[in-house]
Amino acid sequence: MGKWYRDFGPEGDVVLSTRIRFARNIREYPFPFRLDEDKKKELNSRIKDAVLSDNENMSFIEMESVPAFQTVSLAERHLISPEFAGPSKSKALILSDEEDVSIMLQEEDHLRIQAMEAGLDLEKAYEKAEKVEKDIGRVLNYAFDERIGFLTQCPTNLGTGMRASVMLHLPALTKQGLISRLASTVSKLGLVIRGAYGEGSQPGGDIYQISNQITLGISEKEAIFNLESIVKQIISQERNARKELLSDESYLDSIFRAYGILKYARKLTSNEFMKLISLVRLASAEKIIDIDTEKINAMIPDMQPATVNVRNSSMLDAEERDKLRAKEVREILGE
Amino acid sequence: MLCQNCKKHEATTHIKSVVNGEYTQLHLCSDCAGKLGYTDVFSGFGFDLGDFFGNFFSKPKTMLSGSKVERCEKCGMSFEEIVKTGKIGCADCYEKFYEMLLPSIQRIHGKTQHNGKVANVTEPDEVKKEKTKEEIIAELQEEMKVAIEEQNFEKAAELRDKIKGMESEM
Repeated sequence: MGKWYRDFGPEGDVVLSTRIRFARNIREYPFPFRLDEDKKKELNSRIKDAVLSDNENMSFIEMESVPAFQTVSLAERHLISPEFAGPSKSKALILSDEEDVSIMLQEEDHLRIQAMEAGLDLEKAYEKAEKVEKDIGRVLNYAFDERIGFLTQCPTNLGTGMRASVMLHLPALTKQGLISRLASTVSKLGLVIRGAYGEGSQPGGDIYQISNQITLGISEKEAIFNLESIVKQIISQERNARKELLSDESYLDSIFRAYGILKYARKLTSNEFMKLISLVRLASAEKIIDIDTEKINAMIPDMQPATVNVRNSSMLDAEERDKLRAKEVREILGE
Repeated sequence: MLCQNCKKHEATTHIKSVVNGEYTQLHLCSDCAGKLGYTDVFSGFGFDLGDFFGNFFSKPKTMLSGSKVERCEKCGMSFEEIVKTGKIGCADCYEKFYEMLLPSIQRIHGKTQHNGKVANVTEPDEVKKEKTKEEIIAELQEEMKVAIEEQNFEKAAELRDKIKGMESEM
């Protein structure tokens, strides 16, 4: 199992991970939505040859051969998109041993090449994704037009076809109710923040993803620079907000209560886990509780429902899974 | 308020965004938000506006009844089908329906000229378009010579026009 999401990367107190994704299609084949199954398989095998000949650390997986709960777990660990986890005829995945580079074949486009890094490291993620993009481009011709760039099935990805995203942990800004304001501010700058803005609980654990929305008329470098500078401002806002919150005794109390529940509970749903782990992650990053943030980073994907099942090679029902989750969390936090 | 996507359930997720300077607000129920990748931030990857802006292509202005429907020769898509699905069929569709697609592309991105990496170019990446064009012309001239030698004058004439066209562009 990979480790990029466990590590404490640059700006790791606030940033969980960075991702660069390229949407690409091969010139001579219609886009996936107009491509028949045989042609998809033929194209997949050509892409497979192009990638594997240059990258020994990567393996090719036919999605048809992967059981459903395992595909969901791949999505929980961000290795594939949720759409890709659906019915899987002729879809394939090329995955690096470290799980930091993944290529979805026959998702919305022929190729979705993505590279992940711990913390805020857009440059490194870009280099990794670009290497694979070039490896394939040397063998197969990408669909490209000088005027509108890389051609994609959906015109929202035209141009660079690049989506750069940063996963942020923003418990303090969330607590202060500043996320929706932040969302409207960044949207004016061509970026988008995704997360649960609605009423009710926050199963997302105060984790948000910010990415560039526009891909045409802006170069890869500009888009990355733009995103990085905004992310840095959000980081400093979050840090200030944390300072303020942590001087509040009742907030501190809620942190230690969360820690107490995680340490001793006998049953934990994934929603409750996410809510509590968010507080504990904040406390760990701010060195209020002595526990490595890496451990917590790893727990966030590891405790998702399908991933719990995969790790234990079982198909537990929800209640059994909640018990198992609580047991594993207790062990990690050292009851 | 009802969900904008299914128009059945109460909207509980509100998403604000600005596309091309236009402020839009989305109101979705939790089911649709989930389907579109909004509720669980872990499922955010790969999200695409096209999923629910299926109608973001402008409809063709004049649709003469009885007139032949133009289709992409490669994949068979018509512009009406592109509008309906929000999806483009293949690379050739962009060429075929370029003028018709342009207003929508302008609306989505605010721009219509690519300003990033160029595909299928050998290293280094900084090679300018001019240079590749020169190379293309040299190749075409080579091909033309061969065509003349083979007495394939039709092809040679075609190539000559192509070269002229490219030279005048430069």
